[in-house]
Amino acid sequence: MLNKNQLVKDVMLNLNEFPVVKSNCLLKEALDKMNNSNLGILCIINSNQTLKGILTDGDLRRKLISEQKPFSAFFSEDAINLAINKPIIIKDNFSLKKAVVCMEKNSIWDLPVINNKNKLVGLLHLHHAIKVLLGL
Amino acid sequence: MKSKIVVVGSGKVKKINIGKNLPLVFIGGPCAIENKDHTFFMANKINKICKELKINWIFKACYDKDCRSSINSFHGVGKDEGLRILEEVRKEFGIPVTSDFSDTAWAKATGEVCDLVQIPAYLCRQTSILRVAAMTKKPINIKKGQFMSPWNMKNSIRKIEDFGNNKIILTERGTFFGYNMLVNDMKALEIMSEDGYPVCYDATHSIQMPTSMGNISGGQREYIPGLVRAATASGINALFMEVHNNPKNALSDANTVLHLKYLKNVLFQAKTIHKLRLDIFKKFGKDNVK
Repeated sequence: MLNKNQLVKDVMLNLNEFPVVKSNCLLKEALDKMNNSNLGILCIINSNQTLKGILTDGDLRRKLISEQKPFSAFFSEDAINLAINKPIIIKDNFSLKKAVVCMEKNSIWDLPVINNKNKLVGLLHLHHAIKVLLGL
Repeated sequence: MKSKIVVVGSGKVKKINIGKNLPLVFIGGPCAIENKDHTFFMANKINKICKELKINWIFKACYDKDCRSSINSFHGVGKDEGLRILEEVRKEFGIPVTSDFSDTAWAKATGEVCDLVQIPAYLCRQTSILRVAAMTKKPINIKKGQFMSPWNMKNSIRKIEDFGNNKIILTERGTFFGYNMLVNDMKALEIMSEDGYPVCYDATHSIQMPTSMGNISGGQREYIPGLVRAATASGINALFMEVHNNPKNALSDANTVLHLKYLKNVLFQAKTIHKLRLDIFKKFGKDNVK
């Protein structure tokens, strides 16, 4: 049943449930992580757990068209070089409703979640959020 | 990626900074240490030329040539004798010295004498070699393997960094083009520089035709000056060339070393183009073609 007071942190995927890599990760390693998770997003953090960027399937599609490098060169790129450096994020203590509105407004399916110390603590994925909301 | 400056030399020898927006540095000498007299002769000759042209340089000569084509080729004077000679060159001329090493057991001694430790191209991805090179704590000049793409050198960089050393220079020395032939892709210089480390161009090995003559390598040294001009205009931080006063009778790489009599001319061209390139960037700004 829909709970209007549900918070992002109640619904988000925890750190071990979505792909997270360090900023010196090669694209090939990043793609392996994404494939293993079946998610179209990857979060890149520094050693302080601060979010440095995100990489999505869409970013990759656009890069493949705009930069006509050999695949082997792409695979050797630092994932951070292909990432969005200032992604849209949400705080873990925000309401789920607010997060879903944010997703709708920006036509996105995933929101990296940070805490009050700006550390990455989770990922809000629309499918999981809907499942929770619908009690599935 | 933030560009890094590598400092080569310590103690009584001249400290040389290699990196972005700095003067071009020359790394050169005979391929192999043939004997003490010849090594001193070459160091003295090159030193005079570099002083005259006001070019900072690092003396290079190897004590053990472990990748010769033939078992009958000159292998070198050996680690102990070779490092002793390099140490004397270092003291006599007050310049940094470098040699490669091909065996993990030689790394420590090489690092104790050499200001710059070189990784042979054929060994550029050997983890055990990179580990002991990093452990010397000295700057490392890693030659890009002829079989490697420039972007794949990142794996070797990561290995060295992981072993605790971030004083790295990357050297381009040609890429295999079929059998017994190398070509130069000048894009490699820019691609390798993307990791922020200084990039060097090895002009004399780039014109090598590996083992093209059955039991030795051939070479087309007439192309050295043109490739030096191209690489310097493209953008490098150091230039590497092997030089000999009598190439025909050189004990190693006789078909690729540059005759000493051409060195001043080639270095002058390289220095001039390097400076012009920096001046162009100052005046017109950096490349911004998307």
